[in-house]
Formats: sequence, structure tokens, C-alpha cells
Amino acid sequence: MAPSRSRENTEWLSDLASRGEAQEAALADLRATLVSGLRRGLTAWLEPGSPQLEALAEEASQEALVRILSRLDTFEGRSRFTTWAYKVAIRIALTDLRRKQWQDVSLDQMLEGPTDQGLEAAVIDPGGGPETTVEQQDMLDRIGRILREELTGRQFAIMEAVALRGVPMEALAQKMGMERNALYKMMHDARLKLKRRLAREGLDLGEVMATFEGSNSWAGHVVRGEGG
Amino acid sequence: MSNLLHRLRAFLSGGRPASFAVSPASLAVMGRQIASTQDVEYDCDDVYRLLDQLVEAIERGEDEAPWIPLIRAHLERCPDCQAEFIALLRAIKPSQA
Repeated sequence: MAPSRSRENTEWLSDLASRGEAQEAALADLRATLVSGLRRGLTAWLEPGSPQLEALAEEASQEALVRILSRLDTFEGRSRFTTWAYKVAIRIALTDLRRKQWQDVSLDQMLEGPTDQGLEAAVIDPGGGPETTVEQQDMLDRIGRILREELTGRQFAIMEAVALRGVPMEALAQKMGMERNALYKMMHDARLKLKRRLAREGLDLGEVMATFEGSNSWAGHVVRGEGG
Repeated sequence: MSNLLHRLRAFLSGGRPASFAVSPASLAVMGRQIASTQDVEYDCDDVYRLLDQLVEAIERGEDEAPWIPLIRAHLERCPDCQAEFIALLRAIKPSQA
């Protein structure tokens, strides 16, 4: 159902904060607006028109209404009210979706990468000469050593899961019993620590990346750490 | 000696001695992220606070706000915030209720 009428920000705020018919009408309109917005917004993850999408849009909109009503005073008016409300509903919907998608996956499974066994002998750049391969290998060895010295295996696995395989931080954080924002801050601390260590070692990351420019078989090669 | 120090560090950190593998694919992605790491970055809460303003700025074709590069840098690293950004962009497109 489409909203009965459009409102300016101030009208949304006054109607939602009121009592009686004005509030009921505003809630009904906002709910319809949110459901409609979520149907559009979630199509990157769920099939348009699917029962899953419809159910999630309805449930998240309902929960968003409660949250929005309790936080009306935090709306600063720097965007359209509906954009702000969509943001609230989308956070609820995607958090719910990620949790459902990952609920049966253990933390260890999230952190496991694709099986690398048997790939150690792969060549980094089969098109390059022996010097290139040796250079790349040397760089990988140095950086691999630094990563292993600065990070625990678990820290590295978390960073790799998020950066390389796109494992949602929300799902990871939930399994780790922490907030997503805290996990991001932890990863930022680790990246900063690594950046400073690489600088102390005289390694310019730009040069490091340039060393591997053009290599077309990175994903197939593994550098083993000690005791691999 | 360095091996001993390494093991001692691992012991003190409460973890087993690190023995994980670092693939070139990991190095490629994480290397870029490490290289672009700043002392001060926006976290997920900062980005969430500004996300509605960001999508409307993009909608208007305006991207000169000083906080926009900070948000973009975060979105490149955080799949969760990136998903919320994409969903919000899609949500606001057709209707301006």
C-alpha cells in the first residue's frame, strides 16, 4: 500500500510525535514507505517478489518503526526523514539477513579459507622470468614473516576472512561476542601496527604491490610459514 | 634467537606460535588495505551516522564534503557498511516520499 500523502521532515516529526489519528496515519505511511524502500534496497541479496524478501521487508519495517519512534530526537534533519528512516530499516534488515545466513556456520568455519593444500609448488608468475619469481618469493617471505610476528593466527584469519572473502563483520562479531564496530576498530589497530612495522623494516607497500603487479596467478600460490 | 623471541611473543599473547600461511591473494588485498590505513579512520558507527547524508549527496551529484573521502575509505574495507550503502542507494532511488 502506498503512503496516503507525502510529508516534509517537520510534518513527519510532528505527526509521529503526536497522538491519535495523526500519529496512526503517519505510522501507516512510514511503514508503507519502509516496506517499499526495503523491497528496492534488498534486491541485491534476495529475489525481487520472493516470499523471503517480502517477509524480511515486513518484519524489518515493523521493527524499524519501533526503533524510529524511540529515536526521533536523534534525527538531525540533515537528510530527508525518509532517507534516515530507510537507513534504520536497512541496518535492521541486513543484520537479520546476515545472522540467518550465517547462524549455522561456526566461527572456525568462517575463518577457514579455501583449501590451500597441495598448492605450495605453484608458480607465482609463470609468465615472468626466474628473477621475477625469486623477487616475488623473497618479498612474500619477508611480509609473511612480519605478518606472523605481528599477528596471531586468529587475528590474521579474521582479517583475511573479511578482506579476501567478504565474510560479514556483523556475523563474525556476533560469533565472537562483540560489537561490529569494536571488531572494525580491532582490525584497524592491527592494520596500523602492520603498516608501522613495514615502515620500520624499510618496506614501501607501494613497491611491494608493484612487485606483484601483472602477476595473474596469485590466488593459486601459497607461502608457508614456519611449521606451515 | 628470533625464533625464540617469536615463540615467546606468541606465548605472552596467549596464542600458539603463529604458523599460518600467507597467500599472494591475501597479500594483494590486505596489502592495499594496510597501505591505505590512516592513524584516524571512520569506524562503522561514524559511517552509519553519515550514510543518509552521503547517499543524498551522491544523488545530488555533490561529493565535495570533507567527510566523503573518509566514508569511501571505510566502505572499501567494510563489506557490511558497503552493503548498507548499496541498499540505501537503491532504496532512495524511485520515491521521494
